[in-house]
Amino acid sequence: MVKIVFTPDWFLGKDILIEFFSFVVLLIFSILSIKGYRLKKNKSLLGLGIGFGLIALAKLSSVFTKLVLYYDSAPVQAVGQAIMTSQVFSSLDIFYYAGFFFYSFLTLMGFFVIYKIPHKKVYGGDYVLILYFIVISSILSKDLFYLFHLTAFLFLVLIVVNYLKIYQKNGFENTLMLIIAFSILALSQLIYILSKVGMFFALSNIMELISYTILLFLIIRIIKHG
Amino acid sequence: MDRKRGRMEIISDMLAIVQSKQGGIKPTHLMYKANLSHKQMKLYLDELRTKGLIGEVEEKDGKRFVATEQGRDFFFQYRRVREFEKTFGL
Repeated sequence: MVKIVFTPDWFLGKDILIEFFSFVVLLIFSILSIKGYRLKKNKSLLGLGIGFGLIALAKLSSVFTKLVLYYDSAPVQAVGQAIMTSQVFSSLDIFYYAGFFFYSFLTLMGFFVIYKIPHKKVYGGDYVLILYFIVISSILSKDLFYLFHLTAFLFLVLIVVNYLKIYQKNGFENTLMLIIAFSILALSQLIYILSKVGMFFALSNIMELISYTILLFLIIRIIKHG
Repeated sequence: MDRKRGRMEIISDMLAIVQSKQGGIKPTHLMYKANLSHKQMKLYLDELRTKGLIGEVEEKDGKRFVATEQGRDFFFQYRRVREFEKTFGL
């Protein structure tokens, strides 16, 4: 059994740092939202906190998976570009797939929760359907890696459309920053689809870094102006 | 501005007014500036005092309300949450 990770050797480790940075930014957003909910009892804030929290957990899961994959198996570092491990590492395989499943599932769930916040009327059946598709998409992503990125792209486009509508109403600069950050994040998911080419993998990671840096600036603005 | 203010919004408005006046504010001035009836004002003042968000000082010309440290903290926290809600259109 052959397993391939698309991280180019010159980018090994840097992707973990970017994901850890994303985790910190997402965690701050989650904490701020939940603190806001405790103060104002606005359920939308709780939803936002859960959404960001789920994506933060996904990032953490990815960081741990990659740490084990990159630094606990010697062949991984040796081969670099296309990392190949053999049957000997079957326990590592299970760990990798479990980690990737949790990453995909939690990310997509998080995006869905953030997307549905402005839509007050969502029926119970809709949740079951969405949950089913997210699970299917996360399971299939094991073999069809692009399926996860395509689904994430779709959710992110829907989130951007939501914020565009909000920006049309409030004309608030912070919302514009949110639109820019989520648009870059959406674009990075499209580029991930081409990540078999190492340069595209690095490019999508850098775009993710830019997106989360904008979100960090947004947090600073909110704290400063608030 | 004909939208009805919620409880938290009124409390935040009152705190904003109280803390904008360095030496404290007279009850009647607070009532007019916060756009409240006498009954509402009494109700909210009781809540603010019970929660330790405002204090009273006795001046020659009568009673004045001042924001406590806790009141200032609450006000800034509330403003931050409002900014956050506005950003996400919540």
